[in-house]
Amino acid sequence: MKKRWGIMALVIAAVMTASGACLAGGGPLVYGTTEKVIDMDPANAYDFHTWEIFYNIYQGLMGYPPGKTNLVPHLAESYTVSADGKTYTFKLRQGLTFSDGTPFDAHAVKWSIDRVMNLKGDPSWLVTDFVERVDVVDSATVNFVLQNPVAYFPSLVATVPYYPVNPNVYPADKIVRDPSELKGGKIVGLGPYEVASFKRDEEIILKPNPDYFGPAPKNEMVVIRYFADATTMRLALEKGELDFAFKSFNPSDIKDLEQSSKVKTIKGQGPYIRYICFQCKIEPFKDWELRQAVAASVDRKEIIRKVFLGQNAPLYSMVPMGMFAHTDNFKTVYGDGNLDFARRVLKAKGYSEDNKLKFEFWYTPSHYGDTEVDMAAVLKQQFERTGLIDVTVKSAEWATYRDNWANQLMPAFLLGWYPDYIDPDNYTSAFAGTAGSAGLGIHFSDPKWDAKFVEEQTVTDLDQRREIFETIQKWWAMDVPTCPIFQGTLYLFTQNNIEGVMISPTLQFNYRTIQRVQ
Amino acid sequence: MKNILRYVIVRAALTLPMLFILLSVVFVVIRVMPGDPVSSMLGGHAPESVIEKKKEELGLNRPMIFQYVDYLWQICRLDLGESMILKQRVIDAIKLKIPATIELTFFGMLVTVLVGVSLGAYAADKRRSPQDYAIRIYGIVIYCIPVFWLGLMFQMIFGIWLDWMPIAGRTGARVFASTFEKTGFYVIDTILIRDFAALKDVLIHLVLPSVTLGLMLSGVFVRLTRANMLDVLKSDYILAAEARGIRHRRVVYKHAIMNAFVPILTMMGLQVALLMAGAVLTESTFSWPGMGRLLLERIYMRDYPTIQGVIVFFALIVALVSLVVDIVYALVDPRVRY
Amino acid sequence: MKHSPSRKMAVLFARFAVMGKKYGVEWWILVVGAAIITGVVLMAVFSTAIAPFDPYDQNAGPQLSPPSRTHLMGTDNLQRDVFSRIVYGSRTILGVAVLAAILSSVVGITFGLISGFAGGFFDKILSLVMDSIYSFPGLILAIAFAAMLEPGILSITVAVAVIYIPTYFRLVRGQTLQIKEELYVEAARAIGASGRRILWQYIFPNVIATTVVVFTMNVGDAIMIEAALTYLGLGLPPSIVDWGMDLSMGRRFLPSGVWWLITFPGAMISILAIGFTMLGEGLAEILNPRLLEK
Repeated sequence: MKKRWGIMALVIAAVMTASGACLAGGGPLVYGTTEKVIDMDPANAYDFHTWEIFYNIYQGLMGYPPGKTNLVPHLAESYTVSADGKTYTFKLRQGLTFSDGTPFDAHAVKWSIDRVMNLKGDPSWLVTDFVERVDVVDSATVNFVLQNPVAYFPSLVATVPYYPVNPNVYPADKIVRDPSELKGGKIVGLGPYEVASFKRDEEIILKPNPDYFGPAPKNEMVVIRYFADATTMRLALEKGELDFAFKSFNPSDIKDLEQSSKVKTIKGQGPYIRYICFQCKIEPFKDWELRQAVAASVDRKEIIRKVFLGQNAPLYSMVPMGMFAHTDNFKTVYGDGNLDFARRVLKAKGYSEDNKLKFEFWYTPSHYGDTEVDMAAVLKQQFERTGLIDVTVKSAEWATYRDNWANQLMPAFLLGWYPDYIDPDNYTSAFAGTAGSAGLGIHFSDPKWDAKFVEEQTVTDLDQRREIFETIQKWWAMDVPTCPIFQGTLYLFTQNNIEGVMISPTLQFNYRTIQRVQ
Repeated sequence: MKNILRYVIVRAALTLPMLFILLSVVFVVIRVMPGDPVSSMLGGHAPESVIEKKKEELGLNRPMIFQYVDYLWQICRLDLGESMILKQRVIDAIKLKIPATIELTFFGMLVTVLVGVSLGAYAADKRRSPQDYAIRIYGIVIYCIPVFWLGLMFQMIFGIWLDWMPIAGRTGARVFASTFEKTGFYVIDTILIRDFAALKDVLIHLVLPSVTLGLMLSGVFVRLTRANMLDVLKSDYILAAEARGIRHRRVVYKHAIMNAFVPILTMMGLQVALLMAGAVLTESTFSWPGMGRLLLERIYMRDYPTIQGVIVFFALIVALVSLVVDIVYALVDPRVRY
Repeated sequence: MKHSPSRKMAVLFARFAVMGKKYGVEWWILVVGAAIITGVVLMAVFSTAIAPFDPYDQNAGPQLSPPSRTHLMGTDNLQRDVFSRIVYGSRTILGVAVLAAILSSVVGITFGLISGFAGGFFDKILSLVMDSIYSFPGLILAIAFAAMLEPGILSITVAVAVIYIPTYFRLVRGQTLQIKEELYVEAARAIGASGRRILWQYIFPNVIATTVVVFTMNVGDAIMIEAALTYLGLGLPPSIVDWGMDLSMGRRFLPSGVWWLITFPGAMISILAIGFTMLGEGLAEILNPRLLEK
C-alpha cells in the first residue's frame, strides 16, 4: 500500500515539474486588469481598455511607434493634403490581407468609415464632427474630405473609430458586442495579435497574427486576465501569478507596490484627468453662477490627500499640465475650498440654512476604480461645508451611467478623460462644443465658444492657437461647464524580469514589445 | 409498487401549482413593484417620454395580463429572456456560469456533511457532556457568523498572512481555463485531459470557498444530526446491537448513522435553499464566476431581464429539488403515501 | 446593611443561579443572549453619548491608523473614527432588523389567524402562496426586492420583512387550526361567541407564546440578511452608517496590513446575531421543553 502511494507521488511530482518547466523562460505573458470589455466593435467602443486591445489587434492608417510621440503612417504609406486643407489623400500599403483572405484596400477603409458614421456609436463624433465623406480613388488610394480644415487631422486618423475592419466579417448595420456575433465567430484584424479565445470578464487570449506586416511580437502569447477587484489583482501580482498588471489599483496598493522590490513600477506619462460635469440645461445648474459656487468649494488638495494618498496632482484647467497652452485659471479665480466665494454667491441667490441648494451628485462605482465612492463622499462634505448646500450622492454602473447622461438625469456627475489625440482641442471642444457637450450629457452651448473652437481647429499658427486656448480657459473658469479636479498618473507594475513595456503619450500600450528576460 | 407510482405522479402534479405561484410571485416582484424597474434602470427621474420609449422597446406597454401570459409561456419553452445590455440569451448566460456554482456547492455540501454529521453524531453520543454543549454552541455560533465575513477572515489568515491558499477565482492567473474547459466542471475537465498541474490548481482554489460555504451550513446539520441520532440511539435495535456485544463506537458510527442518514439526505435537499443563498455571498467574496456572481453583476448593471431570468431559474431549481426530496423520502419511508 | 447595592447584586445573582440550576445550560444561554442584546441596544440608544466622534467627521483623526487610545478601533481612509461608526451603525442594523421583524410578524400572524380560522379555498390558496415563498431561498428574494426598490431604510426593511411572513403564517395557522378544534372553543361557539371574539380571546393568546420565540430568532436572521444586503451594496445608500457596508468598503485595505476595518464590523454583526439566537434558543428550551427534549 505504502509503496504504491510513493510511486504515485513520484509520478505526480514528475508531471508537475515537467509542466512547470514549460512556463519558465518563454511561455505566455499574463496581464491582469480590473477593466471590463463592453463592445468589441471599433464603431462603438469608447473606453480605455477596449481601445488598448484594439491597438493590438487592429491598426490605423496612422499610428505611434511603441513608446514614441511622433505620428507615422501605418496602414497607409503616406498622405498628402490638398491646398485648402480639406482633403487628405492616403496611399495605402499594398498586399495586405485580413486573415480570411479579404484584401485590405480603399474599399475596406471607406466601408469602415461609412459604418461608423451610420451606426452613430459613442466615439463616432471623432469621425462625424470632422469628416464629410470618404472617396475611393483606386484600390490603394483613398480621400478623406473634411467639413473644415483641421490642423490635427492625422492624429484623429490614429484613433480607433478610424480603424479599417473587415467588411466580410462585421455587420454593416449593428454594433457587435462579442466576437461570437461576427461571421465566422472570430475577430480578424490587421494588427500584431489575433484573438484566440474570448471569455468575457474572465480571460482573453491573444496570439501573434501571422499576417501582420510589421515586426513579430517578442512574446508567444498574451493572456489578459480579468479581476473583479483590485485587491485580488494586487495579491496575484505579488505572488508572481501575473507578469504585469495595469488599471486600476487602489491607492494603498500603489503605495505598497511602489515601495516593493519584488515589482517594477512604470508610470503612464500621458494626461489623464478627472472632473465634475454639470448638466447645463436643467435645474439647478442651468444657472452658471451656481456652477461657480459649487466649483469654488472644491478642495482638490484634500481629495488627493484623503482619497488618493497624494498620488495625483491638482488640476486647475481642463487642458492638462504639460500640454501646450495650459493655464491655471481655476486656481487664480477660485483656489481650493473657497467657501467665502461660494457662500456669497449662494446667499445672493437666495439660499440659506433653511433653504439649501439641493442636488444629486452622481458617480460610477467601478469604471474608474474603487476610489469613486470615497471621492464622492469627500466632495459631498466639501460642498456641504458651505452650510448652504445639501447633496444626495447617487451612483450607477457604467452602462447605466452612460444612459443617464444621455437622458439628462444627473445634475452633477464625475467623469474622467484619457486622451484620444494629443491636442488641447481634445480636452475642450469635447466638453464645451455644442455637439461634444451634448454627447457627454453636459449640454453646454454657446455660439461664442463654438466659434472659437472652429477657429482653433482651422488655424495653423501655434501662437494664434495658444492665444485662442488661453481665452477658452479663461472663459471656462467663468462659465464652468465642467470643473477640473486632478490630473492622474496611471501606474503599471511588472515583475522584475519583464522588459519592453512602453506606454505612449496617448496612453497606448503595445503588447508586442514586451518580453520576459532571464 | 403501484402506490409509490401514484404518489410520484400526484406529487409531481402538485409541483405545478407551486411553481406557478412562485413564478407569479417573481413576476409581481419584478414587474409590478413600486419603483418601476424601467424608471429605476434609467436613474429614477427620467422624463416620461424616455420611459415610455424604453417600455415599448421591451414590450412593457401591453396590458399586464398579456405580459403575464407571455412570461409564463416563455418559461414553458425554457426561454428565460434576453439580456437588454449584453445581447445574450439568459439561458446561455446561465449555462456558462452554472457549472462553477455546482462545483462550489458540491464541495461545500461535502464539507457540511462531513463536519456536521460527525460533530452531530459525536455530540449525540456524548449527550449532556461538556463536549455536547460545546458542539451545540458551535452550531449556533457558526450559523451567526456572516458567511462573507468568515470568508474574509479565511482570506486574511490563509491567503494573506500565511499565504497557503489563493483567495479568489477558480484557477490561478497562469492557468488558462480556455485550454481545458469542456464541461465547465474544472475538476472533471482537468482530469479528462490529464493536466494534473491544472487539477491541483483548481482544487486548491476550491478549498477556501467550499470550506467557508460548508462551515456556514454545518451548524444546521450538527443540530439536526444530533437530534436524529438521539432518536435513533434510543431505539430498540440499537439496544439489541449493544446487547449482542457490538462495540459501542461501531454501534454509534455505523449503525446509528446509517439509520439517521435518510433524514439527513432529505435534510440536504431542504437545505438547498440555504445553500443557494450562501453560494451567492461566497461567490461574491471569492470572485467565483458562478450564478451568484452573475445575479449580482446583472443587478448592478440593472439588466432586469437577466435578473428575472436568473431568479426564475432559482425558482425552478427549488421546485425540482423539493419534488426530488419528497419522492426520495416516499421511497424510503413507507408511511408516506397519498 | 440590609438593602446595600452589593447585597442586592448578590441576591440577584443567587436568583440567577437557582434558575440556572433548574433549567441548566439553557438558562445561561438565554442570559448571555439577553446581555449581549441589552449591550447593543444601549449602544444604539445612547450613541450620541458613547461615540467619541461624529461618524461622518472626515477629520476625526489620522488616516488609516490602527486601534489606539483615542481611536479604540482605529480610523478609516477618510479619517473617520471606526468606533464611532460602529456605535452609530448599531442603530441602523437594529432598527432595520426589529422593524422588519415587527412588519413580518404583524402581517404573517394576521394572515395566519384569518386563514386558519376561515379555512376553505382562501386558506388553501394562501397556504400555497406562503409555502412557495417559504421554500424559496430567503436571501435571493431579499436581493430581488432590494434591487428593485430605491436604496433606503424603508426599502431594505421591506426586503427583509417579506422573507419571514410565511414563517409566522405557518406557525400561527397551524396553531389556529389546532386550537379551533379544542373543546373550549366549541363551547364558546355554542354559547354564541362571534368569530372575532373567539379569535381574539381564545386563539390569539395561545399563539403568542410560541411567536415570541420565533420573533427573537427572526430578528437574529434579519440582522444577517441586512448585513448581507448592505455588504453586497444593496438596500442602503453609502451615506448611512452601516456595519455591512463598512465591511465591504474596508476590504481593499487588507493587503496593506489594515485589519481593523473588517474585523470590528464583522465581529459586531456576529455577536449581535449570536445574542438574538442565544436568546431565542434559551427561550425555546425553557418555554417549550417538550419541543426540544434532547
